[in-house]
Amino acid sequence: MAGIASRRLAKELKEIHTQGCPVGIQLLSADNFEEWHLSLEVMGDSQYQGEVFALKFRFEPQYPISAPAVQFMVTDKYKSPVHPHVYSNGHICASILGTEWSPVLSVIGVCVTLQSMLASCKKKERPPDNDRYVRHAPDNPKQTRFHYHDDTV
Amino acid sequence: MDEAVPQRPLIDQIVPMAVLRAEYENGSASFVKQIDYLVAQSFTGIRRTRGDGDCFYRSLAFRYVERILNSPDPAMSVGSAISTLDASLPMLEAAGFQPLVYEDFYETLGAIIKRVVQPDDSNATLTSSLLLEAFQNPEVSNSVVVFLRLLTSAQIRTDPDEYAPFLFHPELGEPMTPREFCETFVEAVGKEADHVQMTALARALKINFSVAYLDGRSADGHVDFVKFNEDVEDGLEPLVLLYRPGHYDVLEKRTEELPVVG
Repeated sequence: MAGIASRRLAKELKEIHTQGCPVGIQLLSADNFEEWHLSLEVMGDSQYQGEVFALKFRFEPQYPISAPAVQFMVTDKYKSPVHPHVYSNGHICASILGTEWSPVLSVIGVCVTLQSMLASCKKKERPPDNDRYVRHAPDNPKQTRFHYHDDTV
Repeated sequence: MDEAVPQRPLIDQIVPMAVLRAEYENGSASFVKQIDYLVAQSFTGIRRTRGDGDCFYRSLAFRYVERILNSPDPAMSVGSAISTLDASLPMLEAAGFQPLVYEDFYETLGAIIKRVVQPDDSNATLTSSLLLEAFQNPEVSNSVVVFLRLLTSAQIRTDPDEYAPFLFHPELGEPMTPREFCETFVEAVGKEADHVQMTALARALKINFSVAYLDGRSADGHVDFVKFNEDVEDGLEPLVLLYRPGHYDVLEKRTEELPVVG
């Protein structure tokens, strides 16, 4: 029997293909059950008008019981959004990706939450500890124990 | 988690209460007194779980299935558990959970319960030791825990008037909406259960259980048993959990696993 992560991700993928993604979210790649990429755009009036970001999801065999490792991609094409909870290396400080992760969330659910986190941003700035964090950050954001900046995301 | 500390299994074999008592003998006399009280009430054994925040759900789930396994009429107990669980699925949907979110977890719990009477692919029906093995396997065990969390959440979310007056942030004491409470303190993995979650889960599963509070606070060693959903009569062995500050285990009226028969 396939592991729990592949069973669940197969269903999520099927749903994305049959029902499509919410507005502003697109599947860039999902060729296996270890890593998916999605693009993210904030619709309507926001600080991020005209900007397109990309999210990288990495899954452990225990997904969705364990949270996926989620970060904004920083490549030639994509930049990390300037946001008080997003570091310049793309790591995100959001409790739903850490201590408040719940298997009720899905890949699309996480994208929607991050989309609304960006949409509600009032001022584009980096977290105060950005430079220090980025210098020593692990490759996988799940290895960081974030001190959540606030509990609204 | 400190990787260097060897971890307790997710759920362990039954050990005599004397093992727990020994841990308090050089420390708290009032805990020792309360342990002796429990032994005098014939709770002579304890099945311990890992202190990972899922211990209430895991203890309850294990004992929930074990009671079906030990039922005088297993086929009937399996049937009644499955029909209660099947009937709860519309409540999960009404609470806003997509089938995609709960069906794999439900399948796992349903399969364990059905295996009490129906052999699985390996042609074996469930035994006490296979049940323990299943609950020590993280994928199986955690799937069952997640399903019970979703049931608990759905029970609260679909009956907000009943629960809203009791939903408070456990640290800040501020009132919370059912949605906030469930997202943060019921559905999230590793979040400890409190009275509200326990009440909701007892109702969702249509079972009664009690929790013995071992808190070291009673002068004469008396232990309070708090009953949940006590009107329900199911003809099964009692389901009794042991609470110590911040942790739940299963209380047993025997000091070791049942011998394997046949």
